[in-house]
Parts: sequence; structure tokens; C-alpha cells
Amino acid sequence: MNKDLRKKILEVVKRAKEGHIPSSFSIVDILDYLYANVINYSKSNPYKPDRDFFYLSKGHASVALFVVLNKYKLLTNSDLLSYGNLNSKLGGHPDMTKLKFVEASTGSLGHGFPTAIGTALGLKIKKIQSKVYVLVGDGECHEGTVWESANIASNNKLNNICAIVDWNKSASQLMPIENLKDKWKAFGWRVINMNGHSTISFKKNFDKFLNYNGKKPTVIIADTIKGKGSKLIEGHGIWHHKIPNENEYHNILKTIE
Amino acid sequence: MSNFISKSMREVFSETMIEIAKKDERVIVIVADISHGLFKNFRKIFPSRYYNIGICEPSIVNLAAGLCKVGLIPFVHTIAPFLIQRSYEQIKLDFGYQNLNINLVSVGSSFDYSKLGCSHHCYEDVANLKHFKRSKIFIPGNSNELYKMILNNYQKKNINYFRLSEFQNKKPILKNGFVVKKGKDVTIVVLGHSLDLVLTASDKLEKDSINTEIIYFNQINNVDMKNLATSVKKTNKLICIEELSNKGGLFEDCLKELSEIKFRSDHLAITDFIHKYGTYKELASSAGFNVNNIVKKVKNLIK
Repeated sequence: MNKDLRKKILEVVKRAKEGHIPSSFSIVDILDYLYANVINYSKSNPYKPDRDFFYLSKGHASVALFVVLNKYKLLTNSDLLSYGNLNSKLGGHPDMTKLKFVEASTGSLGHGFPTAIGTALGLKIKKIQSKVYVLVGDGECHEGTVWESANIASNNKLNNICAIVDWNKSASQLMPIENLKDKWKAFGWRVINMNGHSTISFKKNFDKFLNYNGKKPTVIIADTIKGKGSKLIEGHGIWHHKIPNENEYHNILKTIE
Repeated sequence: MSNFISKSMREVFSETMIEIAKKDERVIVIVADISHGLFKNFRKIFPSRYYNIGICEPSIVNLAAGLCKVGLIPFVHTIAPFLIQRSYEQIKLDFGYQNLNINLVSVGSSFDYSKLGCSHHCYEDVANLKHFKRSKIFIPGNSNELYKMILNNYQKKNINYFRLSEFQNKKPILKNGFVVKKGKDVTIVVLGHSLDLVLTASDKLEKDSINTEIIYFNQINNVDMKNLATSVKKTNKLICIEELSNKGGLFEDCLKELSEIKFRSDHLAITDFIHKYGTYKELASSAGFNVNNIVKKVKNLIK
């Protein structure tokens, strides 16, 4: 569990008075691992045709992506500090027209995922060996376009895509009949279960994708905790889109220490 | 390929796609379980560049954005209401907001699928797309026009919308805003395949010594309309005939263009759901798109 990235998320959101802290805490460990070990990118050439693509389909966790891009020097400190300002490249949802290393302007749930499927198909058409990674929320899986596209991916044998579902139990707050794994399996995907906050688990499971020779698209169901890292904001309470005041900020910070 | 007069717009669309795909390997065709017969040859020549994805229009439009990300040029094709209205947020966000390039090609026009009812009608698609600054809306009145439109525009960084219709004018008019007929009493502005109807009405009006000037449009949104002002300054009367919703179409653009001129005007467009079955011609007529109604409207205007 990465404490420094969590502290940065908290600080950035508090300063701008915008952002989704628990959703960002839920995925930040996965993103950190992906950028450190999995995604093939070129710092000097963000649009390299044979790069791996990463789509953050649950765009409201943008701050997690921004702090990770910043950690790997794909986003400057001054850009990160400008988050939410009038002329900033960074806001509550990522914008691909403003920011390199952001592949889609997500925010409306159920958009990044079909784009990722299109990219996976496009790479196949162009015979490029790169991979596509797309992170969707479990709540986002309420959207019909997720399942339409899941159907498209398996039927077109897009084995170059790895979807990661941030299974932080948001969906089951509203729709308790979940069967997430069965659903993906029924749609023709290869399903892998993963602990969403453990580096050992990340290595084991992303390697499974990278070493896969079959024809199915892969989905990794990442068992995560919304707000993971601070007991104060964990779970599905008021903190989803709440901005901490000075006092709350220090209290949350203490729980991350 | 230069003369398609005997061919339907759909046939010409599929043949044009073969022609451009041969020269441009970025071109990809995606259909939502429609026109697959017409694309048989395309599929044979370019098996990896044709996808009949299934019946899930928003995802198909969205998927096209993913194809753009790797430098491909997608054409997405299905019936107008499903392509534009069911997928409207996808067009707005995935192409409008993200500045990506797409070619949307619809069939069915406003109510070509007349006997299938309102689910398959689409009068408001043009108004929907006009909201996007980068949208180029092509409403060919003839297959030859469609061919040129696709050829000259498909690779431009726009949201291109090619709106195909089953019915077409006998002769192609290749210039947008072209004065098809000179006259002095009234300016008739007409869109796409309604031109032949207007020409027939105009002949009838000539017999009653009413001399019409006809200006033809097959493209709207940020287009050159300078012939319009010249004409209306002369006639002081404008009637706009467009087989679209009465809001957000060509008439609106005419009024904007003519904001400094005093003139009388009338508008023939679709005011509500055409809640009927029947042939295309019967539906068109019931919505006012018939010669007698156009003659009547012109006569009322010049009274």
C-alpha cells in the first residue's frame, strides 16, 4: 500500500476543493504497479504507435492517475499543483486534449471501456503487438456499454486487452445481486481474481495476462477497498465526493501515517 | 467512377468505400448489422477492415474512437436514429470533446422507413449534430453528390455526417448553395432530395406567372450562403423547404444569414412525429411535402 501517493492525493484534492478521494485510494496501488512494471510507454514520445495504452474508464479517480504520472515523471510538479485551476491541464476528470499520457477524456462512465476495446481491435488490424489496459469501476459495470463492448471484445478474440475491475463494492450498494465474475465469464472473458492492494498479487496476476497465449480477452477482478489507506474515509459513506476541511485533512493524514 | 445516376446512395456508398480503401489503408468500415449485402465485395477485398459488429450502436460509435487512437479512419454505418440519437453522447464526448475524426453514414433519411413507424424515423439528427462546431453535415440529393462528398471530406479532421436517402433528384448538383433556377418573385431554398419536388412545383407556379428563384443546399453548418442574401434582397420573400425537424435545420441558418434584410418568409419542415404508416410518398405528402402544398405556400407568401 502506497502511503506517499495517498498523501499526495489528499493534498491535491484538498487544495483544489475537487476530487474523489476514496475512489482514488481504491485504485492507486494498481496504477502505481502498472506504470512501474507493466505499461510500456516512452517518456520522450507519448504517442509512440507501438506503446501500450492505458485507459482510466472510471475518470472520477483522475487524481490517482495524476499522482502516479507525476511519480514516474510523466507529469510535472507544477502541473500537478495546478490541478483544478482555470488554465490547468488537470481536473476532476482527465482530458486527453490537454494532457499527454492520458488516452481518453473520461468522466461519463461506460466510455473509456469501449474506446479501449476499439484500440485493441485497431492494434490487431495494424498488427501491432502492444497491449491495452483499461480500468473500470464495479459501479461503472452498471452501464450497458460495458457489456456491449465486453461482448464485442470476446467475439473478436481481442486477447490483447486486460480490463481491471476496481471491485470496491460500490455496485452492490445499489444492486446486491452482483455475480461479477460469472457475468464476465459468461461474456467470454478469461477471469482472474486479484487482491487490489498487494504488490505480490499484482505481479502474479499481471504476469498471467502477459504470459497468456489463448484467444480470450482478460479481466482482472481486483478486490479493493474504497478509501483503502485511511480508516476514516473507508467504505461507502459521505466521503465519496467530499472535500476535507483543514481539520479533517489533518485527521485523515494521521490515519495514513 | 463518375456517373451513378441509376444507383442508390447505399450502393454508391459501398462502391466509394472500396475505391478509397484501395488508396488509403487507414479506412475501416463498421456496420451495426445493416447493409452487409452491399458490403460483400468490400469484405472480400478487405476482410480485416470490415466489421459487422452487432446491434449495439453506442458501443460501436465509441469503439470507433478507439480505432482513431491508433491512426485509423472509421466509417460507422447504420440507420439514422440509432447512429445519431441513440449514440448521441458517444458522438458528443468521444468525438466532439476529444477532437477525434469520424465518418458517420446513415440511411433512412427522415422517414424512408415509412412503414416501420416512428422508431425508425429521424427528423432531428441534423439539429443534434449542428451543436458541434466541427460537424460537417452532408445531405446529398443524388448519388453523384454523395460520391464527391465522401471522396473530398472523409480524411478531414471533422465529425463528418453523410445522410443517405432512398430517394434522389434526377440530376446531381455538385455545388452547395447553387442557384438552380433564376427568378424574381420568391426565393425557394431547398435541401437535398426535396429539390425535384420543388422543381415540379416551380413549373406549376410559372404557369400562373409566378417566377421562382431556387437555391439548393446539400450541406449545412458553417457553409457559404452568400447567394442567399443576393437572392432575397431581390425577391424579399423566402420559403425554405427541408425534410427535417422545423427546429435547428437550414431555415434557422437562412434567418441568421439574412439578419440585416427585411423579408417575408415561410417554412416547410416536420413539426411533429409523423405518426402514420404508408409509403414514403404518402407520409411526405401528409407532412406537407407535396406539389400542391408548396404551390399554395408560395402563393400565400406573395399575396
